[in-house]
Amino acid sequence: MKKNSLRLRLIILFVLISGIAFATAAFLSWKETNEKTDEFFDTYQMALARQLSSADWSSLTPAAQNITDKLIKHVDNADDEDEAIGFAVFNHAGKMVFHDNENGKYFAYAPAVGTFAEQFVDGEDWRIVWIASADGKYDIAVGQEMEYRRDVAWEMLEEFTFPWGIGACCLLLAMIFIISLEFMPINRLAAKLSRRSSDDLSPLDGKGLPTEIIPLTDAMNGLLYKVQKMLEQERSFIADSAHELRTPLTALKVQLEVLEMSQDDAQARNDALEKLKNGIERSSRLVEQLLALSKAETVQQDSINEPIFWQETIQQIIDDYAEDIRTKRLKTETIFEGNGPFQQGNPVLASLIVRNLTDNAVKYSPEGAKIILAIKSNTLSVFNNSAKIDMVHLKKLGSRFYRPAGQKQSGSGLGLAIVTRIAEIYGCSVSFKNVSGGFKVEISGH
Amino acid sequence: MRILLIEDDYLIGDGLKTGLEKLGFSTDWFDDGGDGEEALYQAPYDAVVLDLGLPGKDGLEILKEWRRKGRKEPVLILTARGDVDQRILGLNSGADDYLGKPFSLKEVQARLNALIRRNNGHTTPDVTYRDVCFNPHTRKVTQNGREIVLSPKELIVLELLMMNKNKVLSKETIESKIYSWDEEVQSNAVEVHIHHLRKKLGKNIVKTINKIGYIMEDA
Repeated sequence: MKKNSLRLRLIILFVLISGIAFATAAFLSWKETNEKTDEFFDTYQMALARQLSSADWSSLTPAAQNITDKLIKHVDNADDEDEAIGFAVFNHAGKMVFHDNENGKYFAYAPAVGTFAEQFVDGEDWRIVWIASADGKYDIAVGQEMEYRRDVAWEMLEEFTFPWGIGACCLLLAMIFIISLEFMPINRLAAKLSRRSSDDLSPLDGKGLPTEIIPLTDAMNGLLYKVQKMLEQERSFIADSAHELRTPLTALKVQLEVLEMSQDDAQARNDALEKLKNGIERSSRLVEQLLALSKAETVQQDSINEPIFWQETIQQIIDDYAEDIRTKRLKTETIFEGNGPFQQGNPVLASLIVRNLTDNAVKYSPEGAKIILAIKSNTLSVFNNSAKIDMVHLKKLGSRFYRPAGQKQSGSGLGLAIVTRIAEIYGCSVSFKNVSGGFKVEISGH
Repeated sequence: MRILLIEDDYLIGDGLKTGLEKLGFSTDWFDDGGDGEEALYQAPYDAVVLDLGLPGKDGLEILKEWRRKGRKEPVLILTARGDVDQRILGLNSGADDYLGKPFSLKEVQARLNALIRRNNGHTTPDVTYRDVCFNPHTRKVTQNGREIVLSPKELIVLELLMMNKNKVLSKETIESKIYSWDEEVQSNAVEVHIHHLRKKLGKNIVKTINKIGYIMEDA
């Protein structure tokens, strides 16, 4: 079992706490029993002393001691009658005039009449009560060995705590059993999880689990769901990418074969070469866009947080397209009236938005058309003159790899998907609209 | 052999048209589904190469419509969607064969030859007439084992007549089979080709049926 086992820790803690509780209870009981036995035996000693004090010690003859000694010897089990009690009678001169021929004869004269006092007798600790005789001529000492008292108290404690001890042990065993039993569903869950294959991301079954564990399995299911979604996305991305590469690859293959067949026809050879070049450019652009999209898919908003200079970005990109703009005789107009859809973020992603939108506008505008790039309060919009776009296509713009069939322009079908994804990262919304005279893409921040 | 090609990707369509023409197929290429569908009713095509994702009208829809109207031209489907379900759907909609992207031109040629051969009731790739043997795939003609070099158009005329052995083919039919719409046809083009064939393969290889047309007839 591991060090961090909750079950083990619970068991150890319970055993410790139970042990401490039991020991404390036993100690308190021990103190109480001691006091009570002391009280009880003190009373008993005092009673005996009183009885002795009422005797007529003046008429005691020296022979009486001998007679008593003999008598005691004849009492059965006199030696075993070991309550470790003794008594002695002293006159005021300190001479012992009578004793019980047992422990009492070792008492030393140290009267403190009417009180209890401790004394070492024959190497043992004794508690002795001193009392004056009725006639006032003698001092009577009745003592008891303290060890005897402790033994009695100990025995009482033992008898008292034994059943409790057994009970506590049973309780502990039951608790260990119950803890183990209660941990079984968790262990079963852990075993089930460890047996899972890596591609099994189905939710965990919370049935039979304690309610305290349910939030954990719920959280895990949430995580599993997210991982599954992500995996599905990755898989479909890879499948889509592979799929999308088939078309440009086919074009390259076919054009290459045409080139091979045109060895003796210079015109056809040049045509095929030109088309091969276009095909390779198209493929490279697709791969570039795929990489950009996959990057945009994994970027977190907080990874790079720099100020975005929309005006500079837009001007830079318009410069990049100057050649295409000139050959198509396009008119570009820029409007800078606000702070743009987002003001902080990754400048590379921001310029990717502008580049893709500009690229589309330049590509799909008819010759001589007008393109307007506008930065306003919380928005970036790109407008270009174009024919009206069918609603069917409009709805699907921004989906990965979506290209209306029959496009003359080369494109990956990824440009707007990338724009949409980046806008998403910065919490912006993207709209595609047919407006009067053309088509407009607008990115709006909050 | 005249082929109808309906493909919306410019580079693939252009490559297929150029390549197929070099391989001896007169090819009419359309990049719009609706126009392509209509074209089948306007000329005698030997086979159709049809892409599935088309603007205007989807390839499968076009195919179903043709079959519904009883058109029997063999159709070879081209698509980027290579999964089995799509293939089955295509074949069930009336396609005769199927090519998944990326394919090569030679593959398209081979499939087309097989489709046309099967459609004309031939089972072996070589077509023979008397001592002349023509292989549609290599596009080589041999006479008594000796290779005869023919121009692409002459090859098509020869292939057409050999495929339709014992049938009279009118001048117009031959013309429509060997020229696509974007080619200029001279009024005596067919006569010129027949003349060259006779010069290369022997005077009696083609018989002229006055005012009707030409025939390759088993003796």
